[in-house]
Formats: sequence, structure tokens, C-alpha cells
Amino acid sequence: MPVQVLMPQFGESVVEGTITRWLKSEGDAVDEYEPLVEVNTDKVDTEIPCPVKGRLSQILVDAGNTVLAGTVLAMIAPESESASEMKQVLTSLDNQAATEKMELSADVAPPKKPATQPIGRTSNLGFISPVVSRMAQEYHIDLSRIQGSGLGGRITKNDLMDYLEKHAEGSPISGAIASLPQPAQPTYASPVPGQVLPLTAVRRSIAEHMVFSKRTSPHVTTVMEADLSRVTAHRLANKEPFAREGTSLTYSAYFVAAAAQALKASPIVNSSWVDEAALPGGGIRIHSQINIGLATSLGEGGLIVPVIRAADGLSLLGIARAVNDLSNRARLRQLRPEEVKGGTFTITNHGTSGSLFATPIINQPQCGILGVGMIQKRVVVLTDERGNDSIAIRPMVYLSFTFDHRILDGAIADQFLGKVVELLEHFGP
Amino acid sequence: MSEYDVVVIGAGPAGYVCAIRAAQLGLKTAIVDKEWLGGVCLNVGCIPSKALLKNAEVAHLLRERGKEFGFTFENLNLDYGTAVKRSRQVSDRLVKGVGFLMRKNKVDVFMGAARVTTRDKVTVTDNQGKVTELTVKNIVVATGASTLVPPGWVVDGDKVVTYLEAILQEKLPKSVVIIGAGAIGVEFATIWHSYGVEVTIVEMLPRLVPLEDEEVSAELTKAFGKKKIGVLTGHRVVSVQATADGVEVKVASEQGEKVLQAEQALVAIGFRPNGRGLGLEEVGVKLSERGAVEIDERMATNVPGIWAIGDVTAKLMLAHVGSAQGIVCAENIAGVETITLNYEFMPRATYCQPQVASFGLTEAQAKERGYEIKIGRFPYQANGKALGLGDYTGWVKIISDAKYGEILGAHLIGPEVTELLPELTLAQMMELTPNEIARNVHAHPTLSETLMEAAHAAEGHAVHI
Ligand SMILES: Cc1cc2nc3c(=O)[nH]c(=O)nc-3n(C[C@H](O)[C@H](O)[C@H](O)COP(=O)(O)OP(=O)(O)OC[C@H]3O[C@@H](n4cnc5c(N)ncnc54)[C@H](O)[C@@H]3O)c2cc1C
Repeated sequence: MPVQVLMPQFGESVVEGTITRWLKSEGDAVDEYEPLVEVNTDKVDTEIPCPVKGRLSQILVDAGNTVLAGTVLAMIAPESESASEMKQVLTSLDNQAATEKMELSADVAPPKKPATQPIGRTSNLGFISPVVSRMAQEYHIDLSRIQGSGLGGRITKNDLMDYLEKHAEGSPISGAIASLPQPAQPTYASPVPGQVLPLTAVRRSIAEHMVFSKRTSPHVTTVMEADLSRVTAHRLANKEPFAREGTSLTYSAYFVAAAAQALKASPIVNSSWVDEAALPGGGIRIHSQINIGLATSLGEGGLIVPVIRAADGLSLLGIARAVNDLSNRARLRQLRPEEVKGGTFTITNHGTSGSLFATPIINQPQCGILGVGMIQKRVVVLTDERGNDSIAIRPMVYLSFTFDHRILDGAIADQFLGKVVELLEHFGP
Repeated sequence: MSEYDVVVIGAGPAGYVCAIRAAQLGLKTAIVDKEWLGGVCLNVGCIPSKALLKNAEVAHLLRERGKEFGFTFENLNLDYGTAVKRSRQVSDRLVKGVGFLMRKNKVDVFMGAARVTTRDKVTVTDNQGKVTELTVKNIVVATGASTLVPPGWVVDGDKVVTYLEAILQEKLPKSVVIIGAGAIGVEFATIWHSYGVEVTIVEMLPRLVPLEDEEVSAELTKAFGKKKIGVLTGHRVVSVQATADGVEVKVASEQGEKVLQAEQALVAIGFRPNGRGLGLEEVGVKLSERGAVEIDERMATNVPGIWAIGDVTAKLMLAHVGSAQGIVCAENIAGVETITLNYEFMPRATYCQPQVASFGLTEAQAKERGYEIKIGRFPYQANGKALGLGDYTGWVKIISDAKYGEILGAHLIGPEVTELLPELTLAQMMELTPNEIARNVHAHPTLSETLMEAAHAAEGHAVHI
């Protein structure tokens, strides 16, 4: 029985590959592990070794074609019977998903025509007209999924309209386009230089928020550093007992707790600017609750900010639980709409990616946002009660506080941030 | 008996271009024409009429604007006969050129009337009555169109004429009634009026050049009015009668009937495709009611191996459209890469004074289709080159989709505007927006700057107005 050679999946985000060159021709004798074909993905260029000793009986995907992982590329007539017992052989790079796909097709006779589904185009997109690019942006369309019908394969407006019509599930599209179909989640797997990437809904909404915020509030950032010796010690001592309660005690919990107490001490920071348009004469609304949003990255999916309500009333355990729960469900995209609303202050932990300090953008209509940098052991100079200096190694963190200068003046902002530092440095029962 | 891959019937701009392209693609090709190479366009249409229009322009300048430019004449003598002779020379020269192109591309030429006898046989009967039979794999019908003459009207070729007599006659009447205010009507009105003929133009529809944007019609009506060309729009011609010393044209409007008298009448109300009488129906080719050969976007008829292009398909009766169809047709026959034509966006040029040029949707059409539109305008009065030329009536109007910037159409009236279309049609084809046109630096001073300015205007930042 012939053995199939499949397009492997080269890692999680790489779901397709392009055949660059066949190293063997149909009819050639091939050895096990002998390179059979050169494959190119946006991440790697590699060779696929032959799974069994035998003869290359059929090439099903010609060079230049791009196919999905799991696609049958060729058939090998194995030399020995025992080899043929292996119905399917994947290369060393295979993974679970591809294996499943392969097993599905195990009993199916090899297709005559390539079972390939050439996706989109192998090379770059060519000339994309301004009209097409504007439309693609509006509809969040990954143009590489569209086959062009214009001269030289150019994607025309009509091609885009056809694509939209086919993918819009009945939403009518005429000269003037009325409805906005749900965007297919585009992948930025292979940004080609010179190409215009279509915007995802998330990207677009982030962009709108950021621009809106920068335009709305005069941003000022002030930075202080905090010695986290006590926090670290406390965390070390309490990790176990918290874990027994099913809660993982993260640093975030400490920052939320400190911010909540500092906000309680400086209510003016827990506020929003109110325009004259909304209230005659305008004003500054001091919020009655302290609701702290925690910016959570969703990788390519963008950013989401679940909110811990009435954080000042929660114990460290309560905060840690809320942080755990919300960030887990955020990553699973299971947050309820009300759980991302109503924040009065935001914390962003940019330190997780190594950043020391940053100038975060305010989450409107809040007054401020606290950026937490990477916790680093640093050399610090300590002075004891008697004025003697000594050098010590301490876990340090930079805290960046960006505030709306319409509401706060520098001194007040520093006072607030100083309070956060104080709370962290003196953390403990 | 000869065997061909392609036999083209009709050697107009559709047919001869198709034949050249077919030959270039390696197909053994012949072309048949019963009258002339070059068709209506080169012999009695586009080309000689443009030659006459150049004369008209000069005549107008000398007669009406000599003072303004500082030329005075004792005895200004305008010899229209020489104008016609010049136009014949221009035609002859181009027709010879087509003959040369046929030889160069090894296209066999058969002079005679063609008839399709079976799907793979064409007979050619020359004017001596000799019949040649051609065996062919593909037949391309490119037989053009003829002037539409309503039943009861008698074209005698002397007092009641069509474009054919009008373009060849070396004497001018004192007065003329032109029936039909399409391109041909307004072009002859311009020629004759420039030579001092008293012209009345009658149009059934409510405006001149009725297929153009409404504002273009209004501007042209204004210009004709200034020149004292009689314009009777919304008037239907009831009858055309030759009398002893001229013609009587009876017209009817909402105000009632009246009779116009003139030395000549020109019938220019439209064209009828030459699809009948070629044996096409007998082999099963579908014709429309008007006698147009029905085609798909490949130029194929419903009968495999029989194709049609040009005026006979009644898509857009324009020479360049026929030529474009001819190329697409040959490429489809040869099975090579080709394109699909979008007839809506073909350029349209009318050489009256002021000239009219347009493509795409009119403002009204764009609105009807539900587009939210942006219009960019620019007048020639604010264009230095036009002022220098002393020719500054008219304007440019670019219509684009407000949402994505797609250029939906453009309407130009003014000096040499027929030369300005290609930038716009190329932009439309490549789906550029007014922004790219505005940012494309145009040489100064040129008439084309008006396109840049109109595009700026569409983007909301016109500079010179
Ligand atoms: C006065 C005038 C001015 C014009 N100006 C313009 C202009 O400025 N721009 C523009 O784009 N268009 C213009 N046109 C229109 C243009 O001339 C036509 O659109 C064009 O000629 C159509 O080309 P065609 O090849 O389809 O047909 P034609 O040019 O009509 O050619 C058809 C040919 O087929 C031949 N034929 C017919 N039947 C047979 C048969 N049975 N056997 C053999 N041969 C046959 C005829 O002899 C003729 O030569 C003008 C027309 C006129 C009348």
C-alpha cells in the first residue's frame, strides 16, 4: 500500500507551506530519510525527508503551490511490506493536529487531482489599488485570500465585492455598501514588506481608543521606583497557603491592592473629567467606587481590560482570586461584557515583557493609569537611622504613572504615586 | 479554395484591428470588405469629420475672432471644397496605411460582399460577380451599422442626406436642419455653422447630447445659443419632405407643430446594426430585434466559432470600442490571456465646439445607483493655458464615490478636452482615487492641469479657485 507524504505543520501559527522544489522526480528510487522536497513557510525553509524506502510514485502538488498542513504532497510506493504497514508517516516535525487529519484520510484512495486547496496566492499581492485597499480596510479583509481577475492577476474592486458577497452570508452588497460583514480573523503570519495589512476589528478598535485618548487628555507620566523586598518576602511566605486555596498569588495582586489603597487616600485620582457638553460648566467626577482594570494581553488578539470591582474592599486573597479568574477567562475569551466595563483606574503590567518603565496611554474616561515595570534585582544605597550608608541588593520596580493633567497637577500625582510606593515598600500585616 | 483560422467580415476599426491581433497570435487570417479598408471610421466617419472640424475651427477664428487676435482681411475667402479635399487626403492616407498593415501582418484581403453559408464557410462576391469560397474555423462579424431612417422619410442624397453625403459634398447649403443632437448632429452643426451656414438642430429629447451629463448639455446649449445655432430640443420630427428648392421639416412639441424650411436636412438620429442579410440567422446566430448580433463578454455569439465585434454588436457605437472588442475577440479565439471590457467606462469623445468628453456614470446615474458622491469641478476660465488659447468656455467635473474614492465618471466640456480622458480612464481602471490624480504633478501651463485641480477640489482643497 502506498504511503502518503504530508505537508507538516511547522509550529502553532504556521498552517501552510509552499513547495519550492521537488528534489526527486516521479519514478525515482528514494531512501528513508532522504530529502524529498523543499518547503518554505514564512518561518522556516526546510526539506521534507522521505518517510520510507521505496519509489516516488506520484507528485500531487507541484512546485510553487501553497497548501495547508496535512495536505498530501506525494505518494511513495514502499519497497518492503512491513514498511507499508505504516499507513501514514509524517515527518519528524508533525504534531497532533496534522496527525488527526492524516488519520482521517488514511483509508481514502489517493486523489487523482491534488487534494490541495491552494490558499490565496503564493507570491506577493501585486499592485493593490487605493480603492481596493480602502475597502479591504473597512471590511477587514485579508487580501491574500482573494484571487484577482484583473490584468496580471490584479485584485479589482469587483473581485473584492464578489468575495464579500460570498462571505457576507446574505448581506446585500450593491453600489453603495451598507452592511459590515463580520471579518474573517486575518492572520498577520506573513507580512510582506510593502504590503498593506488589513486591519482586524481588534486592531482598529485599539487604534481608535488610543488616538481618542491621546487627543482627549494631556498625558503626563511620572516615574518612581519601589523596593519590593517586603512584597517578595510576603509572596514567598504566602504562596503555598494561597495555592492550597486554589489561588496563585501573583505580583499583580499586590499592585492592585496598593493602588486601591492609594486611590482611597487620594480620591481625586479615582475620577473622570466631565466635559461642558455633558454637564453645564463641566466638572471632575469623583467615582464612588474604586474599580481597577487590569490590562491583559491576548497576544495577536490584542488587549482586554477586565475590571476588579470595589478593589479597596477586598483582601489580598480576594484580589488575587479576582485577578486569577479574570485573566484566565480573558485569555479564554470568556469574559462577560459587564466584566470589562466600569473601570475607574487601570494597571498595566508591561514588566512581563521586560520593560522597565513606560508611558502608558490612559484608558478613557479615567484619570490615570499605572504602569508596572519588570521587577529587577538592583543595587541600591540604603541609609540607616544613624545616617550610615550601605549598599544592598534589592528587588526593585519602576512604577510609571500617567495622568490626565487637566485633573491632576504634578504634585498631586506624585503624592499618589508616592503613596503606592510607600504601601508596597511597607507591605505587611 | 483557401482555409483560414479566422475570417473577419468588415474592415472597419473593429475588424481590421481584430485581424491584426489574430495574425499576431499566429492564426491564419483573412479579412473581407465590400467597400473599403478602414470602414466608416477611416473613410467617411471619425477621420474625415475631424479634418473638417479643424477647418471649421480655423474658419471660425478667422471669421468671428480676427479682430480680437489682430488679423484683418480685405476679402476673406473660405473654400469649403478645399477643406473636403484635405479631409479626403487624410482618409486616403490612413486607408493606405491599413492596407500596408494587412500585408505586414500577412492578413489576406478579399474585396467583395461576404456571406456566411455554413458555420465554416464564407463566400465572397466581388463587384464583377466572381465568387470565392473560404473555409474557416472562426468567423468574426464586424459589418458595422447604417444610418437609421424612419419609414416614410426619403433620403435622396441631395436635399435629404445622411452623414455619408454630408461628409463628401463639396458645396455647402445656405441653411440646414439637422435632425438629431447626438455626436454626429452637433459635430456637423459645428462644421457648417463655422462656414456660415444657417443651422437649426432638432432633438426629440429635452437636451443636446442627451446621453451626456445634464450639465454638459446645458453648457453646450449655452455655447450654441451664443453662436446663434438654432436649438430645438423637445421637438419630434413628424415628417421630412423635399420640395422644389429645399426641404420642409415638420416638427411637433408641447407647443404644437411647426414647419422648418431649409436647403438641406441631415438625418442623424442614430444607427441600425448591420446584422441582417449576412446569412447569420440561417446558421442559427441570435440577433436582437434591432438586428444587432448578440455576444457574450468573450465576443462569442451563441454559435460556436462565430464571433462579433464593433457597431454590429450595438454595445457602444464608437471606433475605439470596436477596436478594443476586436483585440479581446482575437485573444479569445487564440485562447490567450485577455480582459473583459466594461462598456460603462469606455471614453466618449464629441468634437463639437466646445468639445465634450466623458466616461463612466453621469451625476444622475451615480445617484440613482445609490452612491454617495463627491464632485470635483474646475472651470477653464481659471486655467492659464486655456486663457492663452483664447478658448476658455467649459469645465471639468470628476465624480467619485465619497466612501472609497473610486472614480465613477468624469464629464468635460471645453478646449481639446477629448485629449484629456486617458489619464482619467487609466486612473479609473487602476482604481486610483482623486487623491492620486491631485498629487500627480501636471506640467504648467497645460489644459490637463484642470484635471489635477478638479481632483484637488474633490479632495476638498482646490488651489487655483
Ligand atoms: C460622421 C461620423 C463621425 C464619427 N466620429 C466618430 C468619432 O469621432 N469617434 C468614434 O469613436 N466614432 C465615431 N464614429 C463612429 C465610428 O465610425 C464607428 O463606431 C466605427 O466605424 C465602427 O466600426 P466597425 O468596424 O464596427 O464598423 P464600420 O466602420 O462601419 O465598418 C464595417 C465595414 O464592414 C463592411 N461590410 C458590411 N457588410 C459587409 C459584407 N456583407 N461583406 C463585406 N463587408 C461588409 C463595410 O463596408 C464596412 O467597411 C463616427 C461615425 C460617423 C458616421
